[in-house]
Amino acid sequence: MFIDRTLMFPLLPTKAWLAPLTLAAAVTVTPLVAHADGQVVDRVYDPYVQPLEKELEWRTSAIPGKDKTWGGEQIHHLGLGRSFSDRWFGEVYLIGARDSERDLKLEAIELEAKYQLTEQGEYAADWGLLFELEHEREENVWEAAATLISSREWGRWTGTANLAAIYEWGDDFKNEWESELRMQARYRWLPHFEPGVEFYAGQDYRGIGPIIRGEKKLPKASKLMWELGVIQGLTSDSPDQTFRLLLEYEFF
Amino acid sequence: MSKYPVACMGKFLLLILFACLSLGAARPEIKLEIRDHLFLPSELVVPANTKIKLIVYNRDPTPEEFESYELNREKVIMGGQKAIIFIGPLKPGEYPFFGEFNPKTAQGKIIAE
Repeated sequence: MFIDRTLMFPLLPTKAWLAPLTLAAAVTVTPLVAHADGQVVDRVYDPYVQPLEKELEWRTSAIPGKDKTWGGEQIHHLGLGRSFSDRWFGEVYLIGARDSERDLKLEAIELEAKYQLTEQGEYAADWGLLFELEHEREENVWEAAATLISSREWGRWTGTANLAAIYEWGDDFKNEWESELRMQARYRWLPHFEPGVEFYAGQDYRGIGPIIRGEKKLPKASKLMWELGVIQGLTSDSPDQTFRLLLEYEFF
Repeated sequence: MSKYPVACMGKFLLLILFACLSLGAARPEIKLEIRDHLFLPSELVVPANTKIKLIVYNRDPTPEEFESYELNREKVIMGGQKAIIFIGPLKPGEYPFFGEFNPKTAQGKIIAE
């Protein structure tokens, strides 16, 4: 039986230096796990939910250049979400895409629900589940995903992993199962500047690269959170670089 | 590549999850109150290098958010309700926290020693 060591890190001893080492180990063993296509670089979800919280989110992942395979592809998510209890959080996304030959247009709508399974810090790792349902309008393709989220701290390091099982189906489409793995190791240095590294794996894609994350407190208990990353492709089937940017306005 | 690695991973992660859930040992409990937008007491002394179960009672009718970057915790507590926040193990030192909805008055710190 295959055992993925990358997702064992929530049980490892509390050693801060283990976080980046674990991520490095992940890069070497995940090709046996991940099985997905499309643009894999997106965001790494944490498992936490706050009651009363609302958020407005925009995120994009963009592949620069004009090569024939990727053609300067950009995918944009615009989302509005709110929590429904101290465990459930829901969000609706409009998903737009463009490339070097097509202008930006709305391509899909997505519903998302996150469930926090355990209290933060209660166990060796914190756990959550993410459920997503996406409909691509023109091609009438549906995609449903269930993602297991795990996170734990090693001192000022925080390690988070998302393992997704995805099913796609449609009229003129070969129905298929896929999987994705997304991982992040982040150093909580300052509220407005937390450097880290992320790793992504899909069927044809492997990528790793640096990210920075930060947040700025705003009046009335609201805050603006941002993430910026440059993910370097590791395989010949992966684009050289994928840039990702996320802006999230949280309010009550 | 087949789908079977995903199935194996799912079973493996569930095993880890159940193992983690079964490890909930008894921990020192400390009580904290929110009253009139103040944390009472405003200073809590806890043992260092020990995981603590902090029970926060919000005696106000309005919600409050316990927040601390140093503790890496934020938790909204609805009015008239309580919430449980697990913190630590902490190295010896001081860890400030505040109420996000009333940051000028709701302030406190945890002292690990």
